[in-house]
Amino acid sequence: MQSRERIDKRLTNGFALGVIWLAAIATVGALGTILLYVIVNGIGQLTPAFILTWPHGVNMEGGIWPTIQATLYVTALAMLITTPIAVLAAVYLAEYAVQGRLVSTIRFAADSLASVPSIVMGLFGLALFVEGIGMGFSVIAAALALSFLLLPIIVRTTEEAIRAVPKYIRWGSYGLGASKWQTVSRIVLPSAMPRITTGVILAAGRAAGETAVVIYTMGTMINAPLLPLDPGRTMPVHLMLMAQEGINMPAAYGTALLLVLMVLGFNLTARYIGRRNRRMQG
Amino acid sequence: MSDSHDPRTGEPIPEMCADDKATMAAPNPPSDSGLSTISKATYFKEAALKNLFLVCACVAVAGVGLIFLFVGLKGWPIFAKVGIGEFLTGAKWYPTKGFFGILPLIVNSLLAMAGALVLGAPLAIGTAVFLSEVASPKVRELVRPAVELLAGIPSVVYGFFGLVLLRPIIAQLFGGLGFGLFTVWLILAVMILPTIAALTEDALRSVPEGIREASYAMGATKWQTIWRVLLPAAKIGIIDAIILGMGRAIGETMAVVMVAGNARVIPDGIFKPFLTLTTVIVMDMPYASGDHRTALFGVAIILFIISMLFVASIRVISRFGKGMS
Amino acid sequence: MIRRSTVCLAVAIAAVCLPGLSGCAKADVASQTSLTVTGSTTVLPIAEVAAEDFQAANPGKRVLVAGVGSSAGIESVANGTSDIGTSSRDLKPEEKSLGLIDTKIALDAIAVIVNPSNPVSGLTKAQVSDIFQGKITNWKQVGGPDLEIGLVNRDEASGTREAFSKFVLGTSDFDPTAAVLPGTGQVRSVVAQAAGAVGYISLGFVDSTVKALAVDGIPADEKTVADGTYPLWRTLHFFTKGEPKGLVRAYIDFVLSDKIQNTVVRDAGFLPITEGGK
Repeated sequence: MQSRERIDKRLTNGFALGVIWLAAIATVGALGTILLYVIVNGIGQLTPAFILTWPHGVNMEGGIWPTIQATLYVTALAMLITTPIAVLAAVYLAEYAVQGRLVSTIRFAADSLASVPSIVMGLFGLALFVEGIGMGFSVIAAALALSFLLLPIIVRTTEEAIRAVPKYIRWGSYGLGASKWQTVSRIVLPSAMPRITTGVILAAGRAAGETAVVIYTMGTMINAPLLPLDPGRTMPVHLMLMAQEGINMPAAYGTALLLVLMVLGFNLTARYIGRRNRRMQG
Repeated sequence: MSDSHDPRTGEPIPEMCADDKATMAAPNPPSDSGLSTISKATYFKEAALKNLFLVCACVAVAGVGLIFLFVGLKGWPIFAKVGIGEFLTGAKWYPTKGFFGILPLIVNSLLAMAGALVLGAPLAIGTAVFLSEVASPKVRELVRPAVELLAGIPSVVYGFFGLVLLRPIIAQLFGGLGFGLFTVWLILAVMILPTIAALTEDALRSVPEGIREASYAMGATKWQTIWRVLLPAAKIGIIDAIILGMGRAIGETMAVVMVAGNARVIPDGIFKPFLTLTTVIVMDMPYASGDHRTALFGVAIILFIISMLFVASIRVISRFGKGMS
Repeated sequence: MIRRSTVCLAVAIAAVCLPGLSGCAKADVASQTSLTVTGSTTVLPIAEVAAEDFQAANPGKRVLVAGVGSSAGIESVANGTSDIGTSSRDLKPEEKSLGLIDTKIALDAIAVIVNPSNPVSGLTKAQVSDIFQGKITNWKQVGGPDLEIGLVNRDEASGTREAFSKFVLGTSDFDPTAAVLPGTGQVRSVVAQAAGAVGYISLGFVDSTVKALAVDGIPADEKTVADGTYPLWRTLHFFTKGEPKGLVRAYIDFVLSDKIQNTVVRDAGFLPITEGGK
């Protein structure tokens, strides 16, 4: 009887582990299918002309340069606005905060912001920045709306980065007579910087891929924005419109591929920084 | 995703949950003890900086408040006009004729979310278990980046993929147009997978190593350990992960709008088109005016409240779970 | 470390203040050298290519074109957000008091399309109406195979939907369980790939991937539209607030010129306004 139990145990174990392997394979497979499909169909579009020229003609033939510029501009502006605030907020939560109602409220608010559906954020941007304050469809309105979306993400990763700095380093600093801010600014933050940078770059990747927020705050007009008040159409918005119109599918595939490459670029850069940091820390 | 290991001893540092993190604030320097070891100038500077950081942290609270204020203000008139009860339970959404009942939209959103969870959660938990317990370090190096990459793909690209590849295939295989709940479930399941998998993996990793060793010492196989010891131990974290996945599924717009078919009824089959709380906004907003537009802002505030409810329920469950242990 | 975050903060504040400075300059320039055209996605191809050619012929002038739907286009020209509102439908009664002047720029016909594998090649207008109301649900009811009808509708912002509804449904409503798609190309590709699908698009966009049905026995092609026998046709409009002047007038005249009418308009699958129609 005992050996029967042992065989049953082993059979279930083998079967279950097989199922688990299948799950992992399905996950990787899903990623592979999506990437492969986008690459295979879009690669033909990736000529310098596509990247650097403007769309023209009946169905946006030509290139998609203005959308690339719009995407980079709004992403950069959003990161510029949100990073200082988020990092300092994380410093507060990690270094100064004491458990209490205020901190609980802040955390609840941050978690809520993180799970806001992006279309709600888009309507919020429309209500407050575009119409309320009167910025109109503009890069700055989109960047401000995006920064609310990105804030909790960067706060979370920065906080984790700060907490990962070992305590004994701080004690050493205090032991030398440093004040709290001196310790934070000269010891803790520099030490956590690679992780913080990783988090920021990943958040930038998220910002670049946002559609629902941008479409209600930056508009859909093809334009290469120069000033923050200019409207524009970003790559994800362009992809959505191209796919919906359905007439110039090659351009849609090309845009999809470029977008995926951009996000992949952000992802790989963040990963590279993280790996280099880990290697340096030994 | 962070390496929670003590760098000196190599021991894993257990993941702290939100409340623990708040109580264990970093130690304060001796200057806080009341002895005047620093000048008044430095004291004021320190205090000012602390308040600046506090203001930055409160931006999050301000954000939530502003969203409520502005979206709520724009959406309020429809509640006043139609009555919030009628808005939420009315069975007909036909704004151009004056019908503002979002019940079909709510039902459709829930249906989409439920199916995505049934498909995606087991897949995600399986992947997390794989990463945490089954995979060798080399394989882990391959699979974990894959999961992170899945998380990074923009939702438009998912929608686009669903539209151009999945929809025609489903139309071929099952007849009909290829839009509908089934297609949405497939796409949403893949989208919420990284969210649930990452959090489940974190939860599994935070189960102390000793528990695993004890289980193996008693002769349990790997699967028995996973199923009877680890997963129950990580239960709270896994439930949190699932709720977060639910929130993500119900809030997704771009991917859904491209494959759902957007008919404003409760579908009578899983291959029939339907409209959800999120897709109604994106479909109607371009041309909505007057009451219709107000109603869309009303839908947005309902969505916001739903997502906050998910966040609150995670908190409640975590506190409840801790009370039990 | 302090310096870097201070600099970042200062740059952020400056970036937010900059719009205030740029806002003043922008307003003066806009009315003279650039003009905004928004509206129907059906008219979009004409407006855009004409805009390109216009800009090439008039250096220094910019024409910004966007496709947001006929209703949105009419609303934005009425409230001054854009200079020209394009539309693929006539003004609704409640829009007639907005003070808009209508310039017709092209003719269009709406074709009812099915999958090429569908043996049905023509329907009566009543049958089309019943299908799109959801009263007829299987192709065998209209002489086709035993196949469920996959109804494809356009979004409510679409001028094409508006026109189709007026011609075919009259006062009845579309079947609410129909799939609602936001673009002509999508309707076309869905119908091209699903055997039982039926939808409607502008005749100009019909290609070899779909089949256009004859309505009341009249096939859908340029000849029957030009001589007015094909029942489902409409005019495409440029609406302006008040009489068009200056740059707006120049652009509209350009679009109405013979060259554009016979090249751009025809290339987009429409008919010149000077030919046929009532």
